[in-house]
Formats: sequence, C-alpha cells, structure tokens
Amino acid sequence: MPKQAVLIRSLVELAGSLVADFDVVDLLTLLADRCVEALDVTAAGVMIAAPAGQLQVVASSSDAMRTLELFQLQSDQGPCVDAYRSGKPVVNQDLSANIGRWPRFSPHAIAAGFRSTHSLPMHLQDKTLGALNMFRADNGSLAPDDVAAAQALADVATIAITQHQATASARALNDQLNHALNSRIVIEQAKGKISEAAHLDMDQAFQRLRHHARNHNLRLTDLARDIAIGTAPAGTLDPLPPQGLRR
Amino acid sequence: MTGERLLRILELMAANDRSGETSSLCGVATEITGMSGAGITVFDGDLARGSVCSTNQVSALVEDLQYTLGEGPCVDAHTLGFPVGEADLAAPTVPRWPAFTPPALSGGARAVFGFPVRIGTVRLGALTLYRDQPGVLSDDQHADALVMADVAARSILALQAGAPPGTLSAELDVRADFHLVVHQAAGMVSVQLDVSVTEALLRLRAQAFATGRSINELARDVVDRRLRFGDPAAPDKL
Repeated sequence: MPKQAVLIRSLVELAGSLVADFDVVDLLTLLADRCVEALDVTAAGVMIAAPAGQLQVVASSSDAMRTLELFQLQSDQGPCVDAYRSGKPVVNQDLSANIGRWPRFSPHAIAAGFRSTHSLPMHLQDKTLGALNMFRADNGSLAPDDVAAAQALADVATIAITQHQATASARALNDQLNHALNSRIVIEQAKGKISEAAHLDMDQAFQRLRHHARNHNLRLTDLARDIAIGTAPAGTLDPLPPQGLRR
Repeated sequence: MTGERLLRILELMAANDRSGETSSLCGVATEITGMSGAGITVFDGDLARGSVCSTNQVSALVEDLQYTLGEGPCVDAHTLGFPVGEADLAAPTVPRWPAFTPPALSGGARAVFGFPVRIGTVRLGALTLYRDQPGVLSDDQHADALVMADVAARSILALQAGAPPGTLSAELDVRADFHLVVHQAAGMVSVQLDVSVTEALLRLRAQAFATGRSINELARDVVDRRLRFGDPAAPDKL
C-alpha cells in the first residue's frame, strides 16, 4: 500500500475511535504502529503525562523502543522529555551530535541501533498531554511532509484522548447520580416495608429506620438496603423511645 | 450551524427566569422545536428512574406511561442510542408500543419523538417531544432536538456536579419526579404479598396498566392504605 494511503487509513482509524468506547493504550499503540508503517521511521513510541504531571510510557512499536523510552524517563533526559516540557517539536536530531545535550540518553540510544530522533508534542490548545517519539536507524532527516503527517496523527490521537477524559468525567458524574438516586430509592423501599410490617406511617417508619441505624452504628443506606432486599427484618427494628426522649 | 442552534438554545435558557433549573430544559426543548410539549426521563442502565421535567399534563402522561409500561419513544431512544419517532400514533408506520399507544393517543399526543440524552457513550436517558397533531419533524426541528438533548445531558450532569458525594443535587431532588412514592408502595406490597421488592414493583406496574391508572396515583392509594395487595377481594387477583 502506498504510504499516502496508509496515512489516510491511519487517520480514519484514529478518528474512528472518537465515536466508540476505546482504550487509550490501544489507541496510542495504534498511533505508534501506524507511524512506523506510514512514515520513514524505524520505531515510534508515545509518552503521556499522568494527572500529577509525571510522564509515562504508554505505547511503543517495539520492545527495544519501550526499553529506550523507559531509560529516557529514568535518566530524565531525551528528545521526548524536551518536546513535552517545551511544547515544541524536537526533530531531525542526529544522536551522535547530541551527546552534549543528552549525555546519558544519546549513547544508550546509539547502542540500541538508532541514529536520529524526532519528537512531537501532543497538545490541544495550550495544554501539552505528552509527546510522540520517533527514531530512525539512519541519521537522515524526516521529510517536512512526514513531520506534518506525524503531527496530524498525533493531533487526532490527542483529540481522542481529551474526548475520552471528558467522557470519563461524565461517566463518573452519571454514576454518582445513579448511586445517590439508588440510595434514596432503597430508603423509600425500606420505609414501605417497615410501615407495612410495623403498622407505622411513612414518617414514623423513617424515624424508626434512623433510630435503629444509630443504635447499631449502621449506615442508614446500608441498613435500608438490607431491609429492602430482605436480609434484615423490617418488623423487628428497635422501637422508638417515647416522644419526649427522642434525640 | 450547530453553533447557531446551540447559541439560540442557550439564549432561551438564559432568558428563562428559572435558567439552570431543570424545568427550563423541557420548556426550551418545546419552544425551540415548536412542539406541543417535552419531557426528559433519566435511566439507570436500562431501568427508567423518573422524569427530570415535563411541560404540561400531556407530556407528564407520556412520561408516566413510559415509566409504567417500559415502552415508548424515550425507552427506545435510550436503549437503541438513536432518535426514534412516530409521526402519527393513530396510523403508525411501524407497529410498536402496543400498550403505550392507545392511552397516549387518547391523552392528547398524536406524534411522539424520542432523542437519546447522552455524552459520548455515557447514556443518561432520553428526551421525548410530543405534538397534538400528526406530522414528521422537519430537518431543522430534528437538528434542534439533537442539540437540545446534548444541552440537557450537560445541564443534568452540571447540576449533579454541585451535589455533595452520595447525595442527589437539591435541584434534581426537588424538581424531578423519581416516583419515590412508588418505591414506598413497593416496600409495602412486598410485605403484603411476601415477595421481593422487585416483584412488588412489577405487580404495581401491572396493576397500573390493567386499570389504566397512573402508577403514582395507585402507589399513593397503597401508601394511604386505601388499596391492599394480597387480599382475596382486591382487584390485583384478576
């Protein structure tokens, strides 16, 4: 398949993840693999910053690449770290000419068989999420078209991740809503059972539920749930003290 | 185009005194689409939990029927994940909703449309629009309803975002109808019949359907002890 076609297919593939539930690691592994397939690079990897700001290796096109990326993080130096921190591309860097810049990383990368490195920041507006890291086994420069194509692939992946994060927070809120609503519902169900079993009105039933939970140091919702599903009896809760003595 | 629609919706929401309140969601949905009324049902998974808002008695009935019967445009829109509609309930193009259609029609809804209320893959529920006259939605109305459903999803979650963990936002608690009386009644009926609460809920739904009554009304009768289940003379032993 011509490189142009691979590139277009890759963009479509990455964009496709926007409409479905997807795994971030799968998506970024796809990004790394497609860079190697569509562009003139030997290996590719992606690092993403954790919420605390610490970069993490998320995806690599090969094991050698993964090891190298981990080394980059351990030694806290290298093109990906620079691209992430500066938010600017670090491309067409001959590793042997950069021993002064990355004294620990460059020799390590050369020993792993690479000659040149190309890192692109993954950012949306002013926020940098991480960086895409590519290596070549020779020290040739990447064609400007390839740099632009890599940035396009990285941008689509960035949008997908941002969208994914927004969805995750929507899901968390929706779960909270359902959880809160379910707590309310089991309390109403327990009130109904107590009311019927002990011949009380709803308010008295609720007072009794609360009183029993307090006496036995139980959470109201937990006790209500046990009563609603039948693992705690509704008819034998502690009786309420006479009116004047209620807390 | 979507931007303009969104702007108009937000302007209408802002112009509404009760902006930010859930009731304005259904009001604006009705106004922007030029329909007769609107309601929004929230679900937990595939289980309808209740209505966040409805604009008038007919939309309240449409909401109630769908909650009680477990079928209708909002149930399908929520379950299937895409808009569904019936331009004329009196001469439906697709035979569906056999329990919902007759009472919805006689209650005053002639055309009904359901739109999923969701953010990405997070499904909150569905928006139901109804009209007292038959007819399809125009492309414009359809597009407005889609944007409106999106605004509704974000508004509902924004409301809940302000609530302390484990509690329902005060706005939802006060304005929405989560059929709490039905759950009280289900607790009582479960004791009366010695069945699970889930089974009791089904009995209440079946009874509401069989007698053509609102499930809230029926539940109120149980809670106020005007109706008992399990009594041999009671009408649930049909």
